Amino acid sequence: MLTVLISGLAIGMLYASAALVYNVMYSTSKVLSVTSGHLAMLGGVFGAWFVNTLQLPWGLGLLGGIAVGALFGWLTEVLAIRRVLNRGEDHLWLLSTLALATMVQQGVALWWGTEPRPFPRLFEQNFSSGVLDQKFWLPIGMTVLMAIGLELFYRRTMYGKLFMAMSEDAFAARARGVPTDRIRVMSYVLAGGLGGLAGFAAGQLTFAYFALGLTLTLNGFIALAVGGLGSNLGALIGGTALGLLSAFASYWFGGEYQQTFAVGLLMVVLLVKPAGLYGSLKVRQV
Amino acid sequence: MKFCSTKLINSSALFIGLAIMSGAVSAQTVKIGWLSSLTGPLSSAAVAENQGVQLAVEEINKAGGILGKQIQLLTRDTGGDPTKAVNFAQQLAFKDRVEFVIGPVNSGEGLATTPILARAGVPNIIIGSVDELTDATKYPRAFRAINTNVQWISTANNYALNTLKKSKVAIIGDTSGYGTSSAKTAEELLAKAGIKPVYSVLVDPNKTDLTDEMTKARAAGADVVMPWTAATGLLARILNARGGMGWNIPVVGHPAIMAPQIKKLLNQPQYWENTYAAGYVSTSYGADGKLPERTQALVDKVRPSYGGAEIDVMFWWVALGYDTVKIIEYAAKTAGSTDPAAIQKVLENTNKFEGVYATYSWSPTKRNGFPDSNMAVNTANTFKDGSFKFAPR
Amino acid sequence: MNNLSFLSDRKSLALALGLLMMVTVPWWAGNQYQLHMAALICVYWILISGLNLVIGYTGQLSIGHVGLLSIGAYAFAILAGKMGWHPALALVVAGALGGACGLALGLPSLRLPGFYFAMTTMAFALIVNELVLAEVDLTGGGIGLPGPAFPAPLDSPVGFYYLAATLALLVTWLSWNIVRRIWGLGLMAIRDNPVAAQAVGVPLFRVKLMVFVFSGITAGVAGAMFASLQSYITPDTFIFELSLFFFVCIVIGGRGSIVGPFIGTVVLTMMPELVAPLAKLGHFFYGLLLLLVVLVVPEGLGRVFELLHERFWPRPVHNDAITPDLKRLARAIKDQA
Repeated sequence: MLTVLISGLAIGMLYASAALVYNVMYSTSKVLSVTSGHLAMLGGVFGAWFVNTLQLPWGLGLLGGIAVGALFGWLTEVLAIRRVLNRGEDHLWLLSTLALATMVQQGVALWWGTEPRPFPRLFEQNFSSGVLDQKFWLPIGMTVLMAIGLELFYRRTMYGKLFMAMSEDAFAARARGVPTDRIRVMSYVLAGGLGGLAGFAAGQLTFAYFALGLTLTLNGFIALAVGGLGSNLGALIGGTALGLLSAFASYWFGGEYQQTFAVGLLMVVLLVKPAGLYGSLKVRQV
Repeated sequence: MKFCSTKLINSSALFIGLAIMSGAVSAQTVKIGWLSSLTGPLSSAAVAENQGVQLAVEEINKAGGILGKQIQLLTRDTGGDPTKAVNFAQQLAFKDRVEFVIGPVNSGEGLATTPILARAGVPNIIIGSVDELTDATKYPRAFRAINTNVQWISTANNYALNTLKKSKVAIIGDTSGYGTSSAKTAEELLAKAGIKPVYSVLVDPNKTDLTDEMTKARAAGADVVMPWTAATGLLARILNARGGMGWNIPVVGHPAIMAPQIKKLLNQPQYWENTYAAGYVSTSYGADGKLPERTQALVDKVRPSYGGAEIDVMFWWVALGYDTVKIIEYAAKTAGSTDPAAIQKVLENTNKFEGVYATYSWSPTKRNGFPDSNMAVNTANTFKDGSFKFAPR
Repeated sequence: MNNLSFLSDRKSLALALGLLMMVTVPWWAGNQYQLHMAALICVYWILISGLNLVIGYTGQLSIGHVGLLSIGAYAFAILAGKMGWHPALALVVAGALGGACGLALGLPSLRLPGFYFAMTTMAFALIVNELVLAEVDLTGGGIGLPGPAFPAPLDSPVGFYYLAATLALLVTWLSWNIVRRIWGLGLMAIRDNPVAAQAVGVPLFRVKLMVFVFSGITAGVAGAMFASLQSYITPDTFIFELSLFFFVCIVIGGRGSIVGPFIGTVVLTMMPELVAPLAKLGHFFYGLLLLLVVLVVPEGLGRVFELLHERFWPRPVHNDAITPDLKRLARAIKDQA
């Protein structure tokens, strides 16, 4: 029973970190990128490659995973977002991020293989540790640290405040001399790095598996919608709720109706409070 | 509304382009279509089978081909998508006018393509295991080379119930198409033997930890766990959970549990002990430590492509791929032509055609050629160079 | 830009020619494979023309229509196959069921903003697939169901093609009419600026819902035809990527037109077959092509053809001078006074 709780919490925290990535990308570009889940996948796959195949120490593997994530975040901005935002048409960013996500998923499948491959053990620990096993605590701890780090970043640093300014009103920020294009690139690189970090931390839980991307994109979105767009605390709570609900539903009713429960949660929350638990619909009508 | 003139330009351009592309059919080659899911689910099996198919084609072509004509292999990657498989099957049958089709690998695709190829009258070598893929009346030209799902499940059941003498079975399947139907078949076959499983569950193949399900199985008093899933991640997690709980009961199930990838996904190598799976006599080391002759011969032929190193995939896939082309060669040579009706006649009267993977026999009423006598049970952690050791009897 | 007046002579000639070509496909199609592809294009088009109104005209990003397709297909397979109903009746019921599910899906979700709506429809598609796998007794679970054929002469490839083409033409005519009337402008107003649309009196939610239900009906019908064409359906067929395929057809073809998405459908259906020899790299190139089209011709391929058309057959610019009828005006004023 305790294992259900902890494993649900761990996977929920992975969803929450995907939601955090969505948040960072959304703040500066108002775009919800389909590639958010794939960043975590890249962190996990490349982390495994660096440590297992190239035999690097896990610290370097971690940095490598973050670097790959940041690189892909930058690529997303350059290829899929920049030109599309300039055109001002609504659906196109969905389509372009989707195309990029498909390409990266297929590319990784061709290179890494379609079977899940092992992720290295990071710390020495007995495998019979049960609920205290690091594969649970690494994603939980890392996501909480990420959320705290993001909050500190937004409140205490200049760049964080610039992010917030852009998310409030991009035109006003631009009028005040903020280089909005460069800030947007920064935010995508940051989001990419965070995604890679989250994927690396959760690697032992999920194994290094190429198809993780789309699952995380959807579930990360559910966590985001439940918790509220733009709120990091909401992302944590939404992810936890989703993870726990999935785990317990699967424990009591078997795995056949897992998606149904997850989406049921989403629909219930959206019907009751459409902005999510901690979000606010700041819609400027005219 | 812009409805018409652009539509005219378009549709004519595209359809004319299509017509041009259909091209001339060469009568100087024997065309074999190969529907393989080289990307997507079950790609590792498909890639290994592809190796066997390509090797056989090369070999036969070097020796002069079939009936003096070279084999032209048309490979189509279906990606595990039944719609693509159907489209490619139609393309192979009607546009490329192939004389034979091998595959598809995935049972889900096979269920969709087999009726189509049957309607086109193209001889089809089936390599999916789901039992509904063959039917002597509905699909007279579809001949199965692989074993059926029932053969896998009954071999495993037999071992668990009669050799290991267990009676309280826990079944774990996954929520994919293959998993749900296999779990169901497993329960039915157990019921025929008078056993009702004490615990039965379907889980998402990517579920990150199986401790809960294994704990429930233990609480229900299970003395053997039988997983019916092809997902290596799930199988590894089952073994990890069993090891982490310190629960020492045997695990008997789907051949995927013997796959070499499993070893790397396990937390401790000893978690792989006390694990058995349905396997084949043709890819098992005998008491003298040797493989059957024909298998060893094929291993030696394949070895150069591995750079002389050990074979790191399950060899029965390669052998199966190799055999499918050999079956085609045998049928064409015996019939003296590639006329579909003649091929059908030859194959349905085949008794004991000796391939590497198995010795096949079909009859006018039987389209599953794999003999029960070739089924065996292997010990999971004995993978070496593509084959396994027999499980203790 | 928007031509609501009646067809000019050249256009009606082109329309007649296009129809003639569609009708004579079996003769110049060459072989049964191409006929099968033509029928598949028609079946996809039945769904896409309905979906086009949702995505291309009202601007609702629905990426879950494969769920409605699946519902239509399974309904048809169960009713006409297991329960032995007449296929035509099963077809109608499949369409109605698709519409009902469209209503059930649309009611709660059409009020949500863009990405939320998209994700909700995606989740809907995944749930339908999950339920199909779980309800083994009804849907055959992983094994799937055979897709019943229509009674002769519609069960031959040629006959089936004519059925599919007829339905496709019917649905196209319906959607063209919806677009041609004042609704068409209303739909595009909703897509481009919902606030302004509401200000002018367009009943936002009701219109969106009606269009969505229409697309549900066409999806249900398309599902039934699809089941019959494929002759066997399994849950593996109705994966999320198919929904993306429909979505991409419309966006690549260009929104705001009917021809554009049709071009998109034809191109994208033929494409995997053309990259077939590349085997392993197929999916990767699909994604790459998508990205290229989005970056280079985001208005869609339909626009490219329009531009070419304008280049070679430029529309003559009329100079309609308006001369007021002063005498009549004076009379009117005198009568008023």
